[in-house]
Amino acid sequence: MQRIINFIVKFKEYITFASLIVICLALISMGDVSKLGGYRAVIIGTVGWMQEAFAWIPNPGALKSENRAVRELNLRQSAEITRMRHALIENKRLRQMIEFKDDADYEVISAEVVGKNSVEMRNTLTLNRGKIEGITEGMSVRTDAGLAGQIVSSSDNYSLVESIFNRNVRISAKIQRTGIDGIVAWEGDEYLLLKNIPTSFDVQIGDVVLTSNFTNKYPKNVPIGVIKQIKDDPGSLFFKVEIEPYVNFSTIEQVFVMKYIPDEERLELIKEFEEKLIARKKK
Amino acid sequence: MFPYLDQLNTGKKSKGLTYVVYTLVALILSLANALFIEFIEIGGLTPDLLLILVVWIALSEGQFVGLFFGFGIGLLFDMTSHDVIGTNALAKTVVAFIAGYFYKEGKQDQTIGSVRFLITVFLASLFHNIIYFFFYIKVSEMDYWALFTEYGLAISLYTTIMSIFAMLLMIPRREINR
Repeated sequence: MQRIINFIVKFKEYITFASLIVICLALISMGDVSKLGGYRAVIIGTVGWMQEAFAWIPNPGALKSENRAVRELNLRQSAEITRMRHALIENKRLRQMIEFKDDADYEVISAEVVGKNSVEMRNTLTLNRGKIEGITEGMSVRTDAGLAGQIVSSSDNYSLVESIFNRNVRISAKIQRTGIDGIVAWEGDEYLLLKNIPTSFDVQIGDVVLTSNFTNKYPKNVPIGVIKQIKDDPGSLFFKVEIEPYVNFSTIEQVFVMKYIPDEERLELIKEFEEKLIARKKK
Repeated sequence: MFPYLDQLNTGKKSKGLTYVVYTLVALILSLANALFIEFIEIGGLTPDLLLILVVWIALSEGQFVGLFFGFGIGLLFDMTSHDVIGTNALAKTVVAFIAGYFYKEGKQDQTIGSVRFLITVFLASLFHNIIYFFFYIKVSEMDYWALFTEYGLAISLYTTIMSIFAMLLMIPRREINR
């Protein structure tokens, strides 16, 4: 017996250590975090209450990291909102284009504006579609809103558009409500001008102006713009009519090329007549 | 951790009272751990103040007494935290057992008031974290060595750094005893 006691005293640290380890392992094997009963529940409840009581003490480190996290979240959400807004605008525009495509009188080829150029009051657009898609010189270009211009040159994959904002362009037009004809021109201002409208004719602000039946360069009834101002021109028999164009050159991004080629026989006849007139004048 | 504890050890007061003081310190540190540890949190890492206390006790009182305090303090920590009961008790019992080997009777001041204390804390903390993370991994099914390298080592280092304050508390006593 004494030997046993001596053994225990001699190795008391190891025996105690082994015993405590066994107890710990037994506790671990019995322990279930989800069941908070007895003393533990009381202790955790008390600690929780105290934590709540001391929660008013500011922690600069935690506040700083929280602030940083909130700022990062704010930045991400801001970027997300911008993307969503852009998608909304794009969605609206594409929807309008799809609707237009369904209603178009002519076969159209959709194209994207990949370049814009302005030289001496001549605005041109470069499109990412060309001869491969069947685009040729003379075809009209429009957006879902209205007339944009005419193809003046094309390569296999690109086309050049002479926009209606060009000092050389003259468009035979008519007022939709009354059918009164005139000539649309651009003189470098914000608005287009509708010329040759006599002061005795019925013209109102808000009237829509379309390409007329007399034009052979553009298809008929393509919207151009809406009348914004009608001014009397002293000493003239005609109004000075200003049209707000439906197409905005600075924001134009997507267009349709209308597979409309002017009638060559008609063009030839006009050309022949004009040459005769010039010949008569020379005589 | 408190200089007057050594006065208690020298026989001026009973050993019993010393143990009561250890218990009170353990309770205070447990509460501080639960309430204010976030104030010294660095990158999600917190030092184990109770481990420093266990090492202190083991180095002051020896392996046998240290074992009981290690077990008790670990159990207290398990209760105040959401850990599985027994994990911290086991880890801190092992800590006391290891730290007990560095106990030198009559030379407690020199041991705790020197770099040896820091080395003991670091080694003990490493063993503590090896055991503790083993049970932690069992629950979370994470990569053990990755977690230990990322957190276990860092926590051991942070705990060792914090133990410098405990060591500094003992240095004046050591100088007086010389």
